[in-house]
Amino acid sequence: MNLDYLWQGFAVALTGQNLLVGFVGCFIGTLVGALPAIGPINGIALLLPIAYTMGLPAESTMILLAAIYCGAEYGGRISSILLNVPGDAGAVMTAMDGYPMAKQGRAGEALALSGLSSFVGGMLGSLGLALFAPLLSRLAVGFGPAEYFVLMIFAFATLGSMVGSQPVKTLIGCALGLMLATIGLDATSGAYRFTFDQPELSDGIEFVVLVIGLFSISEALIILENQGRGMTVIRELGRMTARMSDIVRCTGATIRSSVIGFVVGVLPGTGASVSSAISYTTEKRLSDTEGTFGKGDVRGLAAPEAANNATACGAFVPMLTLGVPGSGTTAVMLGALMLYNIQPGPMLLTEHPEIVGGLVASLFVGNVILLALNLPLVQIFARVLTVPNWLLVPGILVLSVVGVYSSHSSVFAVFLMMGIGMAGWLLRKAGFDMAPIILGFVLGRVMEVNLRNALAISGGEISILFSSTICIVLWIMAAAVTILPAYLSRRARVRTLQPT
Amino acid sequence: MSDHAELSARAVRMIGRGAAICLLVLAIAYGIGGGEIEYSFSSDPLGPKVFPVALAVVLGLLSVWYFFSCGSAEGFPAGRLLLRVLGIPLVMIVAVAMFEPAGFMASIFVLTFGTALLFGAPWLKALAGAIGHAVLWWFVFSYLLEVYLPAGSVFGG
Repeated sequence: MNLDYLWQGFAVALTGQNLLVGFVGCFIGTLVGALPAIGPINGIALLLPIAYTMGLPAESTMILLAAIYCGAEYGGRISSILLNVPGDAGAVMTAMDGYPMAKQGRAGEALALSGLSSFVGGMLGSLGLALFAPLLSRLAVGFGPAEYFVLMIFAFATLGSMVGSQPVKTLIGCALGLMLATIGLDATSGAYRFTFDQPELSDGIEFVVLVIGLFSISEALIILENQGRGMTVIRELGRMTARMSDIVRCTGATIRSSVIGFVVGVLPGTGASVSSAISYTTEKRLSDTEGTFGKGDVRGLAAPEAANNATACGAFVPMLTLGVPGSGTTAVMLGALMLYNIQPGPMLLTEHPEIVGGLVASLFVGNVILLALNLPLVQIFARVLTVPNWLLVPGILVLSVVGVYSSHSSVFAVFLMMGIGMAGWLLRKAGFDMAPIILGFVLGRVMEVNLRNALAISGGEISILFSSTICIVLWIMAAAVTILPAYLSRRARVRTLQPT
Repeated sequence: MSDHAELSARAVRMIGRGAAICLLVLAIAYGIGGGEIEYSFSSDPLGPKVFPVALAVVLGLLSVWYFFSCGSAEGFPAGRLLLRVLGIPLVMIVAVAMFEPAGFMASIFVLTFGTALLFGAPWLKALAGAIGHAVLWWFVFSYLLEVYLPAGSVFGG
């Protein structure tokens, strides 16, 4: 296996500038993750335009964003354990045993142990990424426009069946994202689509405007609504190191959950919330012989933390090799690469080894930085939970306004961002998730271009979408992920209704 | 009375159906707009119309599915809380409208002061916080990150 790209990546990741960028990203990411309800996607959305405006090269921007992503996965556990409110979606299951531990006066131990399992998950996930990315990349070189189009259908099918409780809402989100991507000049025909004669829309809706509107503005409104809903921070942390007996007890759970997390992360469209739930329930089934899960069992704490960090790394595999994001956050990072006119896909590793290698190597380096930051400084990160919303949220809004203005020098773009933010808030009120919209948006143009190229090759014959083995396999997989979960849940419902 | 009412199953259904109807209207409008795209030449057999029209059909079908299966929804805020939530975009509109004519500092002061009040800060703390935000972010963006920010045309910037 050729790992030259990785050694080249370490040369990129270990330069002074990129080490600094990685450190700053890890620090900000942990802070962002620690804040309840603000996750990695919000942090990345806020920092992306600033990184772009500062003129950072593409590889440094990716290292910064990846560090924020991984940092937020670490930081998410802090508010789960101390506040019983997950810092991000991936830390929901961490609260199940982390908060009971904190209530028993073992908050410090819980933070230390979850930091260690996050580290193991992150390192194993990075190793998986380093090994699997070149393999998948080589496989995907054979993909033509038809295969790419069907791959994206598969990504949407996976997303629809695995994210959220209502597939229809996820699919509607994807469709809305795809529709937003059609706004602007059509490069093939020169036709203006849905621009309403506004010159500002002729290049389409800018990615930064959409992502900040959906994730920052709507979030600010949600934070105001949820303000003061009886949250109490546990301040007594107790012993700040993990016991060796607990570390040994968690080893199996941590390794198993890292593998689960990585595999789930590789699946397009799924994220840390899915992997942490699967790993927690798996461990509960395997190890909870005494009924201690949910009451402060260290294995129930370690499993989801290892899984969500491994997922963050796994999610980079489809993004870097196929150009299909593995999670909402990597969808934003995919958009970031496109800002630099870099098209992710199987050729990325050959054409830009410094980006892929730099990013993978930075994950290894970032995990070491995160462990070094999170064990001794966790008390400082915990203080962020005491920052009042009236001070925090205006700061988020300033970053949103300046971020959009600085990358467009246009007040129109800021107003558009606000309109999108309000629409996002209304959709969230109706129970819609924002990640599918971003996924649809970043894949929209690529999907349409590939469909049109495929039909141009076949002279308009739609059969090209079913002609190759790869296409057929992808169609079968798409059908399987659509039908199987529905079938299994129906069977489970029938079983519970049957009298015993 | 709470500003955040728990939703009954009927209310959830109503929110879902309302959203489904809005989405259906959007799909129809988008489909009509897609069908009216004008172009003189396209190098591929599909052209710029077919993808949007197909998307409109997909969204239309999904909206109908959603109409009959709407599940969960969060409660909308009511009363004073609703006014405060709607106050944020209002403050933002004023602040953004001031951005170029009055400059970054004045605009950010209005944005952060107004938002802090909406979040329930006492006015003195909100004032101190807003001054702090305006100065801090001006320093961070202008000097540390060297991002261009308007000084305000009314001040000759």
